[in-house]
Amino acid sequence: MTTTASRTPEPASFRDPEARIVYSPEGEVLRELSPRAQEDWAVLESARFFRRALEDGRIVATEEIAPGLLRHERVPFVSYPYEWPFEMLREAALLQLGLLDEALAEGLVLKDGSPYNVQWRGSEPVFVDVGSFERLRDGEPWAGYRQFCTLFLYPMMLQAYRGIAPQPWLRGSLEGIEPAEARALLPTFRRGVLSHVVLHDRLEAKHADRAKDVRAELKASGFRKELIQANVRGLRKLVERLRPRRGRSTWAGYREAAPYTDEDAERKERFVQEAGHARLAWDLGANDGRFARALDAETVIAVDGEERVVGELYTALRREGSRSILPLVVDLANPSPGLGWRGVERSRLEERGRPDLVLCLALVHHLAIGRNVPFAELVGWLRGLGARLVIEFAAREDPMVERLLSAKRAETHEGYSRDAFERELADAFEVERQEELSAGTRTLYLARPLA
Amino acid sequence: MASLSYLDPGSGSMLLQIILGGAAAVGVGAKLTWRRLLRTLRIRRDDDDS
Repeated sequence: MTTTASRTPEPASFRDPEARIVYSPEGEVLRELSPRAQEDWAVLESARFFRRALEDGRIVATEEIAPGLLRHERVPFVSYPYEWPFEMLREAALLQLGLLDEALAEGLVLKDGSPYNVQWRGSEPVFVDVGSFERLRDGEPWAGYRQFCTLFLYPMMLQAYRGIAPQPWLRGSLEGIEPAEARALLPTFRRGVLSHVVLHDRLEAKHADRAKDVRAELKASGFRKELIQANVRGLRKLVERLRPRRGRSTWAGYREAAPYTDEDAERKERFVQEAGHARLAWDLGANDGRFARALDAETVIAVDGEERVVGELYTALRREGSRSILPLVVDLANPSPGLGWRGVERSRLEERGRPDLVLCLALVHHLAIGRNVPFAELVGWLRGLGARLVIEFAAREDPMVERLLSAKRAETHEGYSRDAFERELADAFEVERQEELSAGTRTLYLARPLA
Repeated sequence: MASLSYLDPGSGSMLLQIILGGAAAVGVGAKLTWRRLLRTLRIRRDDDDS
């Protein structure tokens, strides 16, 4: 066991001082409990629902290794709600509400309602904030209800009722969407809006800064856990019924529309398989996940910029029961930055685990032409990841490239050529293998970063 | 002793949880309203707690 001094605090774990996450020098995920949190833990540990949820994996594997010190299983890759498509946000919300409902039956409650309490083993959500459970005190409401609204419910309603993807809002504000903002954004007469949004905002405006009085008043009026249970069950029904509303997507069904023959797709799949084993692979521009599935990797982060595409991929992976592929919504021309306190509370995508294999299929032309990222920049960024690389280049004659070029001024992309791309690639990588696809306009490269 | 959470639960959000409490909430809502009425009529003092 480690001493307190040798442990490194997790930068995101300062909000609740009762149960902080620290790392041992060996990289173990530990949680230090305050005396009060230790009392809560003692009750939680013997709760039936907690044992059940540990067994079926809904709660992160946890053991007490010393009094007041817990050790958690490490999730394969940390991700944040602003990288999840609607379907993942909904799944995380339902996991949390389900656990809360079961906890209430045994006299425990969640002290918050944050999607940051959930992480993923592939497509499987896992509740990681064991320190969020505490004993329910008489007359106390669910303290996390407001947070559940601002970080889960309103963002989902925004997409379900207005067709606006919530990821940029969640990334813009780590506290989510405030009741007053939600009221201005959402249609009043859709399911759940009148109570959870309109009334919420009105009560908040009227009773601002009266928390102490209101607490006493609730207690004196006999507030009890059946009220929380009714609210939680109502929320579950509401959330289950929410469906994502989405605009037209450019790339959904891209594989069908792309100029690949089946034979090409199979060759590409083989090429990817032959790239060998990886501990952590990134599939950039993952689309429907065909090549992510072909990889021999313990964990694959399947990244795509289109929320809809990622939502569909997630649904498919969840059905398949995938525990190795984690789909995320990330625009590679604007990937997740460091956010929160000192910009380290939520870390940059690249800081959350370095890949040892990167797939970059049917992506270069989108970044180089669609987003004007120069080859040197793109290759330099990939080199910085320090991983083996499978990359595809589509020549000017490729129908997809022609389509992208037709929307731009001709001179802007005069330098877009296979020669120019290969020169940049050779500056940073050693190409070990390359293969032409039969359409003749596309080339695959397997490359190793130069020392 | 009232236990305070590390989060500010929001006064409005706490009151809303009575309304969202369904059938179980009727008695609580009535009692809360009654207490407020008594207070308004100055029959009960603000710091009375039972």
